[in-house]
Amino acid sequence: MDIAFLLELSANGILIGLMYALIALGIVLIFKSSGIANLAQGAMAMVGAYVAWALLVLAGMPLWLAIPLSLAIMFFFGTGIERVALRPMVGQPVIMVVMLTLGLEILLRGLAPAIFGTAIKRLDLGIPQAPIIVGPVLINTAYLVSGAVALGLVLLSIMFFGTRLGTVLRAVSDDQMASWSVGIFVERAIGLSWGLAGVAAAFGGILWGSVQGVDWTLSLLLIKALAIAILGGLDSIPGVLIAGVIIGVLESVVPAFLDPHVGGGTRDVVASLVILLTVILRPHGLFGREDIERV
Amino acid sequence: MVKIGLAQDFTAVYTFVTSDYNQGQRDYFTLINERGGIDGYTLQVDVVDTANQPQRGIEAYERMKNDGVVLVDFLSTPVSRAVVPRALKDQVNMMTIMHGRSDAADGETFPFIFPMSPLYWSQAASIVKYIADQENGDLKGKKIAFVGIDSPFGREPLPIFQALADKEGFELSIFHYPSPGNEQSATWTSVRRVRPDWTIIWGAGVGQTVSLREAIRNGIKLDRLVSNAWLSEVDTEIAGREAAKGVLRFEGVAYGKDLPIIQAIENEVVAKGKSAGPAEKVGSSYYNIGVAGAALVVEGIRHALEKAPGKLAGPQLKAGLESIANFDAQGLMPPVTISARDHQGGGKGRICQWDGTRWVPKTDWYAASQDLVWELVRKTAQEFKASGN
Repeated sequence: MDIAFLLELSANGILIGLMYALIALGIVLIFKSSGIANLAQGAMAMVGAYVAWALLVLAGMPLWLAIPLSLAIMFFFGTGIERVALRPMVGQPVIMVVMLTLGLEILLRGLAPAIFGTAIKRLDLGIPQAPIIVGPVLINTAYLVSGAVALGLVLLSIMFFGTRLGTVLRAVSDDQMASWSVGIFVERAIGLSWGLAGVAAAFGGILWGSVQGVDWTLSLLLIKALAIAILGGLDSIPGVLIAGVIIGVLESVVPAFLDPHVGGGTRDVVASLVILLTVILRPHGLFGREDIERV
Repeated sequence: MVKIGLAQDFTAVYTFVTSDYNQGQRDYFTLINERGGIDGYTLQVDVVDTANQPQRGIEAYERMKNDGVVLVDFLSTPVSRAVVPRALKDQVNMMTIMHGRSDAADGETFPFIFPMSPLYWSQAASIVKYIADQENGDLKGKKIAFVGIDSPFGREPLPIFQALADKEGFELSIFHYPSPGNEQSATWTSVRRVRPDWTIIWGAGVGQTVSLREAIRNGIKLDRLVSNAWLSEVDTEIAGREAAKGVLRFEGVAYGKDLPIIQAIENEVVAKGKSAGPAEKVGSSYYNIGVAGAALVVEGIRHALEKAPGKLAGPQLKAGLESIANFDAQGLMPPVTISARDHQGGGKGRICQWDGTRWVPKTDWYAASQDLVWELVRKTAQEFKASGN
């Protein structure tokens, strides 16, 4: 076996997994606070990328201003979704709320290209195209930068849930009625988690948009993000990190060895198999909380 | 009045091309109407979104058929394939320029289906001919890597590449990335490992952009990287205009505004504020393909009305399209000749290169290995005859 080949595939796989993890982070943040799987996270990433592009290119803002402003806009976009669409759904079955987020995904997927135009947009973050070469291993600079940003954000999120505000969110996630009864503003806490999910989506959308250009296909990141969230455990932020790396590496390494023998197409099979095995063998994921109920 | 149905994908998979392509078509039809139509007939265009869904395409087709259209264009291989049996039965002409099933070139099996442009198989053959020419006609022992989207479209040219590899003696390595192609790093690591002499990319939309960027990052020489027709200045813009310098592509329709037909549109349509889209798209790669398709349709209508004045239903237009001879729309495309047997029109195209600001032709118009292409056309057309699919 060619070790350099394996190392290169693994290194880039880890970085890509971290970038996927950024989208998954938004799903977990919302699930952790409200128990809802947000199926609009892919479209939110796409909207974040379109917003950044609009500020950079249409409004002509410098990068240092456009990126923070996009993040702020996406924070309020997230809280706005919670306020306008989710809050009236209080008391409805969870499945209805999940379906609502799916509807939102479809709506945004159509709306953003209709507003900004369907052609792919260039989102230039100034990351050099030249790769970084470590010995025989070639590492994609864009993935390295993006992976580092993703890692930082996931770690920040882990720390955030150790703070007082994070504890409030966890309490809301555990039991909304009990949280209400002890004076926690549950709606505000859930709104905050949606805002943070908006920020995570914006980071993910901007980083992926810088790699592939900005268009509707960014919303398809949802699929990978869901796979990572399920494997890691829907309520575990460290799980996002580990699952991102696992899926990234598997998706990178396995097809390189299997594809030549079966004619291609094994990459998506790897992700699907991981989801299938997780659901069968460990439904709460690697690090998710296994609730035990007394019957 | 002549009714034409443009039921295309504005909202799902092919958004990267539809708006420009459709604008080109409509602008050309507007130009003809502005000039008084064809023998007094004006053109009426019905535009519908199918979101690339065959079922929606069929619904749109049925409605447009009842409305009296004589030609439909779906700009979608899956939708076109789904409608082919109905169009054949209803005798409604279907244009499939630069897309659709390649075996529709066989006009005897597919009498109402009109590719009128180089099939993917012809594109593949022309690319290999170009590579052979650069290698002084000898491909023996050369390594050619094929990097394509993992879909029927991405696998379509493989039989021709395989046949040519056997004939010419080059080593073909095949790499597929999953659709839509937004992440291809592992694929290109594998490509770099085989150290190809030439690389061919076969995708569309975001897959092409990422292929180009990954090729640049992996140090693939761009003047040895050739794409099918679906690589545009949008892709080079996103990859970086300068960074993409040197990349090659097959083109079946000329690019740019420096063409009489495009200038006429600028002066008589765009300047009057009657363009169907933004002025900056006029002359772009996909816009010009739209114009070329519309020009072929208009030419077909002209011939049809000459043959049967005052009567223009599906069969008359079919006869008109099948009498197009050496039509190049004033240099917009290679001379196209369509007959009842050959609906491809000759299969000519050329190779052009991105120079940092525009696409520059590297060759004249030519067709390659048409014997192999037609062998495959006849074989798969026979399969359609036998199975109806």
